[in-house]
Amino acid sequence: MVMAQTEKIPDLIGKSVPRIDVREKVTGAAIYADDIQFGKKLLYARVKRSPYPHALIKSIDTSKAEALPGVKAVVTGKDFPNRIGLYLKDKHIFALNRVRFVGEPVVGVAAVSEEIAEQALELIDVEYEVLEAVTDAVYGATPEAPIIHPKLGEYEVPNFIFPQPGTNISNHFKIRKGDTEAAFKECAAVVEKTIRVPHVQHVPIEPHVAIAQMDETGKVTLWASSQSPFAQRNLIAKTLGISQSDMRVIAPYVGGGFGCKAGVTMEAIPVAIATKVPGYPVKFRLTREEEFYTNFVRQGLTIKLKVGCDADGNLLAMENTMYWDGGASTEYGVNITRAGGYSSTGPYDIPNVKTDSLCVYTNHPIGGAYRGFGMSELHAGIGQVMDELANEIGMDKVEFHLKNVVQGGDTLATGMKMHPTGLSKCIEKVADAIEWGKKSPPSAPNKRRGKGIALMWKAPAMPPNPGSSAWVEFAEDGTVVVGVGGQEIGQGAFTVAAQMAAAALGVPMDWVRIAGPLDTQYSPYEWQTVASRLTWSMGNAVKRAAEDARQQILDMVAEAWDENVDDLDIVEGKVVSYKSERDISLKNIVIYGIPKENDQGWIGGPIIGRGKFMPTYVTGLDKETGQGQRAVVHYTTGAQALEVEVDLETGKIDVINAVSAFDMGRAINPDLVHMQMEGGFVQGLSSAIFEEMMLKDGYMQNPSFVDYRIATTTDIPKKMTTIIVEEPQDDGPWGARGVGEHPMVPTIAALANAVYDAVGVRLDGPPYSAERVYMAMLKAGVVK
Amino acid sequence: MALNPTPGLPPFEYIKPASLAEASAFLAEHAGEARPFMGGTDTFVRMRDKAWHDKFVVDVKNLEGMRNITFDPQNGLTIGAAVNMNQVAASPFAQEHYPLLVEAARSVASYQLRSRATIVGNICNASPAGDTLGASILLGGVLHVYGVDGERDEPLSEFFHGPGKTNLKPGDIATAVHFPLPPADAVGRYIKLNRNNDGDLAIVGVTVLGYPDSATASGFRFKIALASVAPVPLIATAAEDILANSPITDDTITAAAQAAMDASTPISDTRGSAEYRKLMVRNLVKRAVSDVWGKLQG
Repeated sequence: MVMAQTEKIPDLIGKSVPRIDVREKVTGAAIYADDIQFGKKLLYARVKRSPYPHALIKSIDTSKAEALPGVKAVVTGKDFPNRIGLYLKDKHIFALNRVRFVGEPVVGVAAVSEEIAEQALELIDVEYEVLEAVTDAVYGATPEAPIIHPKLGEYEVPNFIFPQPGTNISNHFKIRKGDTEAAFKECAAVVEKTIRVPHVQHVPIEPHVAIAQMDETGKVTLWASSQSPFAQRNLIAKTLGISQSDMRVIAPYVGGGFGCKAGVTMEAIPVAIATKVPGYPVKFRLTREEEFYTNFVRQGLTIKLKVGCDADGNLLAMENTMYWDGGASTEYGVNITRAGGYSSTGPYDIPNVKTDSLCVYTNHPIGGAYRGFGMSELHAGIGQVMDELANEIGMDKVEFHLKNVVQGGDTLATGMKMHPTGLSKCIEKVADAIEWGKKSPPSAPNKRRGKGIALMWKAPAMPPNPGSSAWVEFAEDGTVVVGVGGQEIGQGAFTVAAQMAAAALGVPMDWVRIAGPLDTQYSPYEWQTVASRLTWSMGNAVKRAAEDARQQILDMVAEAWDENVDDLDIVEGKVVSYKSERDISLKNIVIYGIPKENDQGWIGGPIIGRGKFMPTYVTGLDKETGQGQRAVVHYTTGAQALEVEVDLETGKIDVINAVSAFDMGRAINPDLVHMQMEGGFVQGLSSAIFEEMMLKDGYMQNPSFVDYRIATTTDIPKKMTTIIVEEPQDDGPWGARGVGEHPMVPTIAALANAVYDAVGVRLDGPPYSAERVYMAMLKAGVVK
Repeated sequence: MALNPTPGLPPFEYIKPASLAEASAFLAEHAGEARPFMGGTDTFVRMRDKAWHDKFVVDVKNLEGMRNITFDPQNGLTIGAAVNMNQVAASPFAQEHYPLLVEAARSVASYQLRSRATIVGNICNASPAGDTLGASILLGGVLHVYGVDGERDEPLSEFFHGPGKTNLKPGDIATAVHFPLPPADAVGRYIKLNRNNDGDLAIVGVTVLGYPDSATASGFRFKIALASVAPVPLIATAAEDILANSPITDDTITAAAQAAMDASTPISDTRGSAEYRKLMVRNLVKRAVSDVWGKLQG
């Protein structure tokens, strides 16, 4: 492994260069999927959806819809019988025989206008036999619950997911380390707690949109607002029996992803329909309501925790049982359950651990990736029981955390050795910035103030071997074009890739372009834009591609000048020799090469650098004990401290000050890192106070922004402090790790702990809405 | 809340009459399938949600006088039906003489929506959550209506009958709302309890207007209107009486707040439970009356 610590850090690394996409986005010039024009042949798709959470499909009559003028295609589940799924293949593009959630696609229609497609839906008759629905994951895991996927045992699944056929449990991840039962007997204090985290939705500004077209030779192109063009190519092609090379995905800018545009959701629908109408582009856009209840959701979680420590505050044991409300399909969710399992201790060093992380089928919307991938939900529980345990044992919370957090060299609950981490530094810095231990007076007599702190860790959750690749090419004027397959979803991935390429090559930042939009036909492979993995994984590929190109240039110049490569360097777009003090611009030579003296021929040729990265060291974990050599690639850690003010007359919470510190190994672009920390905190705050999919008997009660509230600019605290901590990653580019998801992970617990400090009450889970806080205060006698 | 609204608006015909008479005749002729149209902030949403099925949308916002806002030092303020809420909030006359109305208008939805939404539209929509309804009633507002039988005035105190139900009949077009001069030295306050700070509907809204009144035992008159806690904007008369009949003390205010809570009959919905709403009526009436009382004492 490259030891990042000993490497020279180029000037551009750690420099807050402006985003390279900012001008086109701010001016409105940036192209999104819905902006692309397809001409007069464009067809519009609409979908008839299940009105029931759980039912058998008895019959479908599409004859009247097919006869409607303007309708070009009507498709059902029978047309596409193969299953699809990222990890567990348990989903159909259109429901086949059975519907499992309200909003599941049943019939697809393509017509010459969206209005006609809508009218066609009204003409379709579907007869159902309604079945008992499972709307609670804890109940769903019991033997009494009706089985939602009777064929679970037949589904294709990777070897690190453990379904239990004959039940609704599609993954059961276990850790058995030490002896918790014996250890609890040694504990001076034990806290037991159950926390419920409701489903939330991603609510990107840009709803899902996808357009697909099959040409007469059977080749398919998909244009989509997508975090995962390569995964979509692979999964959709396989399911529809198309060669991956005959399936092309073009992915322009994304107007917000947060995980909901990863994997495959609605993108398969226009592709499936397009295969029935060769030559016609088919466009499918979701309404905001569909966005709310038909797409990937952040799964609900019921987490039951028991944690104990000795009289000195040393953690001795934890038992953690998690019931993940996976929804109607857990194709993606099974791996959230796994991530929740292997990270189930939170960033604490605990010798005895018993974990059961259960992914449970329910008749709720389908769970998928959501910024944090299970960690916000898990830490909502962990962060609160640790706070309570510190209270129980009578220890200052900061001291308690510092005593118990994981350190480099610790053996984690899975048996993996922890790498160096700056978590203790993060704790000290947030405690300092929030003035921990100092009570500030409230702004009015009817208000109370409090402070809370919570920690987090998160590893990129993915298969063991997700790959990244990149290429680097040049134009005649020396400017650099970098090919990547990772997506710019607002996080700044393109800027950081360009910055890394410029730094590794030795050219000015403004010489670098990113080849876009992403296009699987030309862009290099990237697994998915998820898991906060791009800066680290794609960054490595970009850095290597740039270094490869640099080496080719230096070799060429060394030959032309008859010098030693070791004496040459590239500085500000020029090759320089420290020995002969000659220099030559990259212009022209990167395409045409260099002429030999006296017109005796040429050296070199078009430079093209290539780089790849794939972690090769992640091992499997034992099915019964969760033990293995290395569960994950690494952990990004951090801490958050909040000061809140609670209004005793309404229950409303104001965050006075929010401090975040995270260890991302190396901040390639500090401004972008600060923005991730701010944005992540706000999203965390939003899910802590406002957000909740109100599901009643499987039906969402608030599928619109009128009643699904998210934090707006007016809800953001006036004071937000973000702190960078850098403990370099051994295999990260210049030591970098990702930090995209992490800043929202500790927020629910930090807020809950601060509210507890202010008014002495806790809820059984978020959201900490004014009403829920007030009613809890009323019940506890804090107010009358 | 519709689970399956249409992607766009359902088809409708857009009618732009040249005069109030023409508009009124058309609306009367197409009773039940035509609707006068102002900013559209409710109309389009309801049509897309398939809650309203009008075939005709009758645009009356450009008819004569609809966009005028005028102040007469003797008679008061008249706001044309098509004057948007941002214009009301920015009016120097409204700011100087009717700050309560400005405060209420500024709490509606978001700035963007307030550049379309109107006070008269808010009134005609008759949502129990309407933020400007309380202020409009307490300030003695009168709606000018043009109907098939000619012009008439509708005092807002007797205008509302239920959610979306008012004295308006087919063929009626509200043309303006008029406010007489407020009582001397009046002080107002609108407290809107919402889930987050911008762009939200009221869980509970409390409007209070107080002024010196030699006819009462306390020497002051307090008027109180409540939003989102009854089918119509609720006037808390029992609370008003307590504040008129007893010297204004903390205990009197507490008793008035309790009376307001007892009078309210909210429902439970996604925004809040009935129980919480009632408690908030108590707490916020107390807060609003105390604020007003503090200002009245100078």
